[in-house]
Amino acid sequence: MSDVVAQQDTEQEPEVDLSIADAVIDKYIDIPGNLMPVLQGVQEEYGYVPRVVADHVAERLNVYPSQIYGVLTFYAQFHLKPRGKFIIRVCVGTACHVQGATRIVETFFDKLHIGHAETTPDLRYTFEKVACLGACGMAPLAMVNDSTYGGMTVQKVDEIVADYNQRPLK
Amino acid sequence: MVNVTIDDKQVTAPKTATIYEAAKLNGIKIPILCHDKKLKPFGACRMCLVEVEQMKGRQIPACTTPVTEGMIIRTSTPDIIKARKMVLELLLLNHPLDCPVCDKSGDCDLQNLTYEYKVNTNRFKDEKFHHSIDYNNPLIERDMNRCVLCGKCARICDEIVSFGALTFIDRGIETKIGCEFDDALNCEFCGSCVSVCPVGALLARPFKHKARFWALTKHTSVCGYCGTGCNLTLGVKDNKVLTTIYDENQGFHKGQLCVRGRFGYQFINSAQRLTSPLVRKNGKLMETSWDEALELVAGRLKTGTSVAALATPRLTNEELALFKTLLLENVGTKNFDHSAGFAHSALTEGFTRSFGESASSASILDIQKSDMLLVIKTDAYETHPVVGFEVNMAVKNKGVKLSIISDKRGKLSKLPDATTLVHRPGCEVAVLNAIAKTIIDEKLSVDTAMTVPGYAEIVTALSEFSAEAVAAQSGLTAADIKKLASEYATAEKALIVFPVGQGYAGHNADLASAAANLALLTGKYGKEGCGVLCLSEKNNSQGAVDMGFYAQDGGLNSLQILDACVSGAVKTLFIAGEDPLTSYPDRTKVKAALDAVEFLVVSELFLTETAAMADVVLPACSFAEKEGTFTSTDRRVQFIKPAIRKNAQTKTDFEIFSDLITRLGGQSVATPAEKFTEIAAHTPGYAGLSHITLRKEGAFATAATKPAFVVPNSTPSPAIENGKLALVTGSVLYHNGTLSQYGEGPMHVCPEGYLELSRMDASVYKIADNDLLTVSSAAGSMQLKAKVSSRMPAGVVFAPYHFSSAPINSIWTGSPVTMVTVAK
Repeated sequence: MSDVVAQQDTEQEPEVDLSIADAVIDKYIDIPGNLMPVLQGVQEEYGYVPRVVADHVAERLNVYPSQIYGVLTFYAQFHLKPRGKFIIRVCVGTACHVQGATRIVETFFDKLHIGHAETTPDLRYTFEKVACLGACGMAPLAMVNDSTYGGMTVQKVDEIVADYNQRPLK
Repeated sequence: MVNVTIDDKQVTAPKTATIYEAAKLNGIKIPILCHDKKLKPFGACRMCLVEVEQMKGRQIPACTTPVTEGMIIRTSTPDIIKARKMVLELLLLNHPLDCPVCDKSGDCDLQNLTYEYKVNTNRFKDEKFHHSIDYNNPLIERDMNRCVLCGKCARICDEIVSFGALTFIDRGIETKIGCEFDDALNCEFCGSCVSVCPVGALLARPFKHKARFWALTKHTSVCGYCGTGCNLTLGVKDNKVLTTIYDENQGFHKGQLCVRGRFGYQFINSAQRLTSPLVRKNGKLMETSWDEALELVAGRLKTGTSVAALATPRLTNEELALFKTLLLENVGTKNFDHSAGFAHSALTEGFTRSFGESASSASILDIQKSDMLLVIKTDAYETHPVVGFEVNMAVKNKGVKLSIISDKRGKLSKLPDATTLVHRPGCEVAVLNAIAKTIIDEKLSVDTAMTVPGYAEIVTALSEFSAEAVAAQSGLTAADIKKLASEYATAEKALIVFPVGQGYAGHNADLASAAANLALLTGKYGKEGCGVLCLSEKNNSQGAVDMGFYAQDGGLNSLQILDACVSGAVKTLFIAGEDPLTSYPDRTKVKAALDAVEFLVVSELFLTETAAMADVVLPACSFAEKEGTFTSTDRRVQFIKPAIRKNAQTKTDFEIFSDLITRLGGQSVATPAEKFTEIAAHTPGYAGLSHITLRKEGAFATAATKPAFVVPNSTPSPAIENGKLALVTGSVLYHNGTLSQYGEGPMHVCPEGYLELSRMDASVYKIADNDLLTVSSAAGSMQLKAKVSSRMPAGVVFAPYHFSSAPINSIWTGSPVTMVTVAK
């Protein structure tokens, strides 16, 4: 590689401890087809896949960095930006839509000042619209991490946000 | 073979062929866009749809479907034509129709297919893409708006180049070709992606808006940089070489080129080219007439024995042979040489003693036919990138085992399952000897080895090279050495590859003999996929050896000639194309020699540092302006003819030497073709060759082997001194010799010398990339920019030798390893 192309300004990423990634890589290093489990593993650890980690995985597994980026952008499950501690998912599938999911979504937008697939600057919340959460009987439905909230109303949005605002970030 | 019917025509095709290949073999054209014969079938574009009767008339892609016995195929039914038209309509939906300003116009597969299928309307409507165009590098422009997602660029970068700069990113309609994290392209810039791009998405920036494709005249030639002998097609307009044109049928390499070959052509039409003979008058070089310049030179050459000559192995065989005739017969001196002497000693001394022939015992074509490759120094990729592609393909496609012995890691180390033994610098010969000893001790050698002369001596001589002893000396483990020995000995076919050149002082006759001993012990020579392949540095290095243009029968060699200049024994020095001031070891000594010599004649393309010191400078011609033959590193003799008319005020070296012969009262042959007839008659292996037969296609000069074991001298590598780093010199991927300094392409990407050091040393000395370092050795000191890399082992630093702006020979005096100190 030559030096001719100036390093592009990349967003300043927080310091990343690569030893965590190494532990994940060590676990899978001898298994053929280990790229997916390694990427899933590092995402589990860091909450997203930081660029330095992707480059480190490329070097350790001897895979082209470009190929790793191809995989990361192909699958919706991988995230390249830091994500909030609390992932709020609101279902906008048919059943929830009929039950007024649009208003639930908009209320979350207003409360959190973020849009779809965005994260609050304090890294507390990430908001996502999803097509179906598989519990149409509870429509309209929202989830925060692994907790499910059925029969959502605008008031309940307030309550949820108030509740999670109290929880510690660390 | 299987029998198939294509378009009512009964044909046969190999069992392994796809429908597309079977049709092509039988002269039936099926349109393709994403398929390339060099790459694995992909089936992305659906242009090659055909109907197969057995498949119920379904439309299937011809490029990915293998033929089967009795297949009945139709390639152009009305339904098929309709389907292909729709494929084109869909592609043109997003493709911007900016053909008038697109450099690809005229050579564009999409344009040609659109024309062929008469797609003049589009039933669909959609927005065009709005990707930003990547102008971040000086050589390759990436306009992803024009991309048709055939994936050829990403595939060639992976399958052949093995760099993997490009890939498919995102998904669905948003899919595009890009680099990691959507960065700007930053790669080796070999331009392979540009060459296969079927549209104008990837273009060569140096050629941008220079000429329409159809206005170019295409001239086939042979690349003038390294010894690989790649074939080129030069695109010429108005007597200027404007670009290189890709031809997938050209040469053993199928049109593949490296950054130098593809983007380094600008020196041919450089404004810096010399256009008039120069003569030193009152201390200054003044323009003069050819007659005056040559008369002056001829007058000096009459002094006979006090004349010496150095020539670059970039001259044609005919020129080198004629120069030799001039020196031997008309001047009467045996003092001539090339490439600082050591760069050809692997051939002229090493192989001559070990194989009885001053040539490699294998060809580049053996690489893909072998079972195991033993590469000495990862630099083999940097010095000969297209040979490197062959190694990539052998390892990735054919499963050839790759083992590397090197003083640093490199691109080849990254190939699948490649093992790299990184040893202390300067131990190559010892490591090879240890392998040889292990082969003998563990009785892995073949019985016939004992009948080869010198067997008893080699067994005794190797006694001190036990794996354990060498392991301690080289920093490897005895187990690794033994493992490599048994792998090499037990492989059915194995090939040893090593580069030589002016940057590789350690790659000399001893290394060649040490490598040859392994081949002789295990009987791995004289067979397909076996042997020892020495990659010589310049385009005609092998030719210069074949023509015998080196010190023989008591003649002085390069370094002795320089000494003799100082001592006064040599009074007239004729340098044809070499730039010893930059490329020979020990700059101080070279400078003293050139200062001391009474009369210095230089024939050159450019006013190099050496030429600037001359008394007479003769403007010569580049490979694109002359006729003759080049012999590649594996002895493929190839014919070149002028692609452009030379400047009227320049002469080819052939004309210069021929004129001088006449002036000295001799009689010269009139044309290169005549000279070649003479060469063919007298040079072993060249018998039967002539310009007329070579015009069509190059031919291998044959080599007969007479094997013998030779005890190689192993000079112990210098002990690492405290606070000092071991400097190894060599070539960088983007350059070859000193000529590439005048190619804009290579200079855009790698404009100056540098010192590459390991991350460990960088942190010890607190050095960051691009820090200006003072590097000092016993010979002197100089300033170089730092380049921190992950491939260097701690304690070892690397510097390329090509640059007259940063002449590494001011601190390097020709030893394989130089101890240096580094300070910020």
